[in-house]
Amino acid sequence: MPVMNTEAGRQAKFNQLAQAYGSDLYRYAMWICGNDALAKDLVQETYLRAWKALDKLNDTGAAKSWLITILRREYARTFERKVPKFTDVDSVVVPDDRELEPDDRAEIKQLRQGIMKLAPKYREPLLMQVVLGYSCEEISKQLDISKSAVMTQLFRAREQLKQRLRKDGVTGNVHELF
Amino acid sequence: MSMNFSEFKRKLGAEPRNEDPEFLRARHSSPEFKEAAEAADRFEAKLERAASVPLPEGLIDDILALAEHSPERSAGRNWWPMAVAASVLIAVGAAGLGWKMNHRWESVEEYLVDHYRHDGDKMVVMADGSSANDVQAVLSKFDVSAAPAFAEIVSVIKYCPTPDGKGVHMVVNTENGPVTVIYMPHTQVADREMLAFDNVEALLVDLQSGSAAIIGAGVKSVSELYTLVQASIIPTPISS
Repeated sequence: MPVMNTEAGRQAKFNQLAQAYGSDLYRYAMWICGNDALAKDLVQETYLRAWKALDKLNDTGAAKSWLITILRREYARTFERKVPKFTDVDSVVVPDDRELEPDDRAEIKQLRQGIMKLAPKYREPLLMQVVLGYSCEEISKQLDISKSAVMTQLFRAREQLKQRLRKDGVTGNVHELF
Repeated sequence: MSMNFSEFKRKLGAEPRNEDPEFLRARHSSPEFKEAAEAADRFEAKLERAASVPLPEGLIDDILALAEHSPERSAGRNWWPMAVAASVLIAVGAAGLGWKMNHRWESVEEYLVDHYRHDGDKMVVMADGSSANDVQAVLSKFDVSAAPAFAEIVSVIKYCPTPDGKGVHMVVNTENGPVTVIYMPHTQVADREMLAFDNVEALLVDLQSGSAAIIGAGVKSVSELYTLVQASIIPTPISS
């Protein structure tokens, strides 16, 4: 997309970023801060900062990564020390799972609790992959760690989640997962 | 050289949606590989389901409105509060007010009701002990600082929208329980105006720089904080 210096061009560029990435950013924010209101604030603050610094974004292909960087910084700066630790799956707004079989519902709930209880070094790359659709390469760049380290963290994150399902004795389909 | 099972399992656990041709070939290379891949697919489907979060209504519209209403664009817009009586009781509609960043609040009273309903209770519940340094760091963005007597009782602090751009939402611990203080750096208010909505009282404070609203349960809890807030949130001295 050509760089447009007019106010209308700037607005169009911003609108494109909002439409393309707003949902992913919210979902990611929701998981890292665990609170609907804070997640919305975090996303809005991210876009407010993005709007102010929009002229610095020359490569629109890097926009998603740029926005995630802003969001992570904003989270660290503003919320990290204030947000209570996850203790209950009910603190996260989740989709209606009523159409699922009871066993599946139990597994999904256990997985949500498991994600919440993962250490940040495992949770963050996992959410980048599952929620944002990032590749290991992209996560590596975003977190500034080696691709090998990312793969290890992702592997361990999934292993911990699977162990949690085994440990919690969720019955039914859980055995088919491993 | 084909991928061994151990390496395949590691890649499967790290990036199950990997589309590398060698990895894709390996998925079907033997019954053992195929079974592992299918189990991983089932797990991934459940993981994706678990991680999915419904989007709040109006999320994108609110983001789009940010640019339109950013302080950069609204600079120069003067906001004058409505002429108000010393005490105003705000009628509260059953439907309540939706929290929208793009909402053009007609008055500071409307803003306060909207804001407090949005996350006032949640913020009070999550009060977990911000440090005085946090308080100074946040307030310094608005070229104000807090007296230690005030900074030390702030238990939660975060940025928040105000009628005229970004402000600060705080929860302070007092003898009367937690009380919310919203700092509005660019908003003028009628000093000591009292509002009542839902089950809380709100007291507006005209500050040397900007204004504040003290919101809590009962007139006593907010009134007793008036002097402290007014004397505590002051412009940061310019160092020579």
